[in-house]
Amino acid sequence: MGDKVDVWQGTLALMVLKTLEALGPLHGYGIARRIEQTSAHLLSVNYGTLYPALLKLEQEGYIASAWGTSENNRRAKFYRLTRAGRKKLDKEAHDWERISAIVARFLSPGEQS
Amino acid sequence: MTGRVRAWFARIAGAIRPTRLDRDFSEELQSHLQLHVDDNVRAGMSPEAARRQAWIALGGIERTKESYRDRRGWPSIESMIRDARHGVRILAKSPGFSLAAIAILGLGIGANTAIFSLVNAVVIRPLPFRDASRIMRVWHTPPSELFSGRRIFAVSPANYLDWRDGNHVFERMAIYRFRRVTLTGRGEPEALITAAVSADFFQVLGVHPSLGRVFARGEDEPGRANVVILSEKMWRSRFGADPGLVGQTISLDREPHTVVGIVPERLGFPQVAQLWVPLAWTPKDREVRGNHNYLVIAKLAAGADVPRAQAEMTTISKRLEQQYPADDKGWGAFVLPLHDDLVGDVRRPLLVLLGAVAFVLLIACANLANLLLARTLARAREIAVRSALGASRTRVIQQLLLESALLGACGGAIGLIAAKFGVAAIVHSIGQRLPKIGDIDVDLRVLAFTCVIAIVTGLLAGIVPAWRITKGDVNDGLKQGQGRGGSSETGERRVRNALVAGEVALALTLLVGAGLLIRTLGQLRAVDSGIDSRNLLTMTVVVPETRYSKPEQQARFFDQALQRIRALPAVESAAAIDSLPLRGGSTQPVAIEGHPVVPLSEQPEVAVREITPAYLRAVRMRLIAGRDFTDADAADRPLVVLISTSMARRFWTDENPIGRHLTLGLMSDATRQVVGIVSDVKLLGLDERDPVPAVYVPVAQAPSVAESIVLRTAVQPDTLAPSVINAIFQVDPEQPVLDIATMDEVIGTSLSQQRFAMTLLTAFAAIALLLAAVGIYAVLSYTVRQRVREIGLRMALGAPAASVLQMILVEGMAPTLVGLAIGIVSAIALGRLLTTLIFGITARDPSTFAGVSAIVVAVGLVASLMPAYRATRVDPLEALRSE
Repeated sequence: MGDKVDVWQGTLALMVLKTLEALGPLHGYGIARRIEQTSAHLLSVNYGTLYPALLKLEQEGYIASAWGTSENNRRAKFYRLTRAGRKKLDKEAHDWERISAIVARFLSPGEQS
Repeated sequence: MTGRVRAWFARIAGAIRPTRLDRDFSEELQSHLQLHVDDNVRAGMSPEAARRQAWIALGGIERTKESYRDRRGWPSIESMIRDARHGVRILAKSPGFSLAAIAILGLGIGANTAIFSLVNAVVIRPLPFRDASRIMRVWHTPPSELFSGRRIFAVSPANYLDWRDGNHVFERMAIYRFRRVTLTGRGEPEALITAAVSADFFQVLGVHPSLGRVFARGEDEPGRANVVILSEKMWRSRFGADPGLVGQTISLDREPHTVVGIVPERLGFPQVAQLWVPLAWTPKDREVRGNHNYLVIAKLAAGADVPRAQAEMTTISKRLEQQYPADDKGWGAFVLPLHDDLVGDVRRPLLVLLGAVAFVLLIACANLANLLLARTLARAREIAVRSALGASRTRVIQQLLLESALLGACGGAIGLIAAKFGVAAIVHSIGQRLPKIGDIDVDLRVLAFTCVIAIVTGLLAGIVPAWRITKGDVNDGLKQGQGRGGSSETGERRVRNALVAGEVALALTLLVGAGLLIRTLGQLRAVDSGIDSRNLLTMTVVVPETRYSKPEQQARFFDQALQRIRALPAVESAAAIDSLPLRGGSTQPVAIEGHPVVPLSEQPEVAVREITPAYLRAVRMRLIAGRDFTDADAADRPLVVLISTSMARRFWTDENPIGRHLTLGLMSDATRQVVGIVSDVKLLGLDERDPVPAVYVPVAQAPSVAESIVLRTAVQPDTLAPSVINAIFQVDPEQPVLDIATMDEVIGTSLSQQRFAMTLLTAFAAIALLLAAVGIYAVLSYTVRQRVREIGLRMALGAPAASVLQMILVEGMAPTLVGLAIGIVSAIALGRLLTTLIFGITARDPSTFAGVSAIVVAVGLVASLMPAYRATRVDPLEALRSE
């Protein structure tokens, strides 16, 4: 576990939104697993952070939730992206790309003067 | 943005209906677990291992729930409501502790609120008049060579008129003086304190009457001045609040006066006035320039300020000095805001008291901190469990602070009630000595003050324990059993001892202040007033000038009254003086025969008192040389005076003054012959450093309308009051008698300022000492409980009870002695604040410091003894087994 990276709050929200966009409605456990898989198990999702983050997104209206049945017939709470969430995702993703490009430019050795 | 607003509403909703959402989230977590277990099983784990692994992965469920809750509701409000409920439960569980804490805080906060109410009413709150900040007092400044040490002086009529007409900085200027006026015709005759005011007096103040009108322009001219305005209190008490009174006539000094208005109590100025009448100056009155006995108020014109007004008044005064050198040489003018003028004398003592009472609160606060610390440590386990169950450090601190703030709030409520009584007691004891402008009460500002200090005190007391307890390791706390020291034991002891030392230091500082004032009062009481005050009854009689207009009539009245009084049984002697010793009185310029002739304004001033022949005998003053006055020293006989010893020493150093002559500046120009020398008497106050040179004149040769009657009695003096009043009524049934008091009471009243400060400081110091004792006791008791095992072990190993006793006593006395040392240093540093109040001793009076230190050590010992004794009663077996 030692070399796994914890996900920070801000990026977690982005990942949740992206996951929901890619996979459609999904429960909290599924979201966590998906994030871990996508990161090739380099990220570990702390559930103590995930559920409050989901709640925050829901309160802000970017996702909505409803109880449903899982693929293997378990009762679970499913989250889905709302229209506001879709817009938010576009904006956040765009911002993220810009920022990571800027940071990358800072860190790349060739550009240093 | 919209996202954030929506989130707010969602969180408020979340705070309102927590249970349903809680259940929902529990289910979600359950389903999460189930999904994980399913996955694990599918991956080939045994059901047992699958479940276990899922649990571990989820981490602490409770911790997750906790952070979920924080996010869901409004963490501050929601968890605070929960914490508050929890706090109330916790506090209710240990009522003894809670009540003690609330009582300590209530005491501290109550005392602070009471004193702050006083400061608020007197110093902070503006005067109740319209544009109060623009209302000024204008004084004369006297020539310093004549009145050394006197900064301000009353104003003369002619100078006032020149000021009024010559300035451009004041919108209006008004003048007034006090007068005694006798009200007759409705019940008993009554002498009322009356302000005789110029016509636009009320316009300067912007006072509107609650009924009727104020004086009109021109009503201050002779012949038109038979109008009067009543204070509301007067109107209620004497006239039953009769709304038809305005327009009716009442008899003042036997002259009919038409009531034109009633002034609301709150707006009555000067405060003591019961009536206002117009000042009816005759043309001759208006020309008086050299006699200063009026007070002036003025309202700044728009755009003018105090420095400008001062500059202009100084210019005018310079011009008057040149124009009228005989009267005005050296006389200037001094402008200051009326509010400053009224509260100037009491501001400093009040602020000293406020500082002193703040000390009491600090001690209460340290005390509570100590109690909370001891209790929080006892709760270490509970707190550790809470942390383990997912409460963050912030939450634990928040919880603890909330508890202490709750205590603070309860203490504040109790304090407010206590303050209500405290204020009443203060007003009762010194109300009339304070410039109480409006009412002294608990208003909104006081309420806000109390709320703030209550909460701040609570929080302040809670910070130390909360910080200490959450610093420790959770595991440590869990492992820690009852009564076993944790890893930071010495650190905690240091904090507790520091708090105790602080309390002792603060208490000692207050005790020194109280001690200095107690010593001062003792010194003042021991001062020889120069008369024998035992068995002396005094009263004041002011005859109305309208009935006794001629000096002979005035003299005859007092002569007849005294004769009737002397005829009463148990009266040994009776006499009259125009102004009682210690009450101040007239000072006049004096010209000594044979000394270089100088203008009136450059002559030295001496005290002048008018007495009847029996006065020396009645008050038991000594005749040093020459003769006493006799009835033969009548108006038509040669004018004579007695002089005091200090007067003789000052003006006739090497000669015999008897037979020499002098002239008194404010009496007739005639010379008066010195016929005797009498002992010195404190005329101005017991704290008068050097005796004031005094000249005594026979009443018969300088009659006045107001005399104080002094009689020496063979019985308790106050029992004679009714028969004396009756004797005076026999001479004139419409003549009121004022200020009946024994001479001892007169002396007592002259000390009331010192006594007030002394009483309050002593009360504060006593509370402080009590609190410090409680602090020492509580800390030591706690220590003994903590160390019960160690003590048991020592005793099991053969330590005698005496050595255990000694060990605990030392433990208790160490912080006490440290506090003592700090307190002495701070008392020396703060002593100079009291210099104006103390007399006969220095602010570093060694005996006060020694006595106070002894008291503190004794109290420290007594507070330590009980816990120390309890330590010696520890049963070794019990103690060792208790693990």
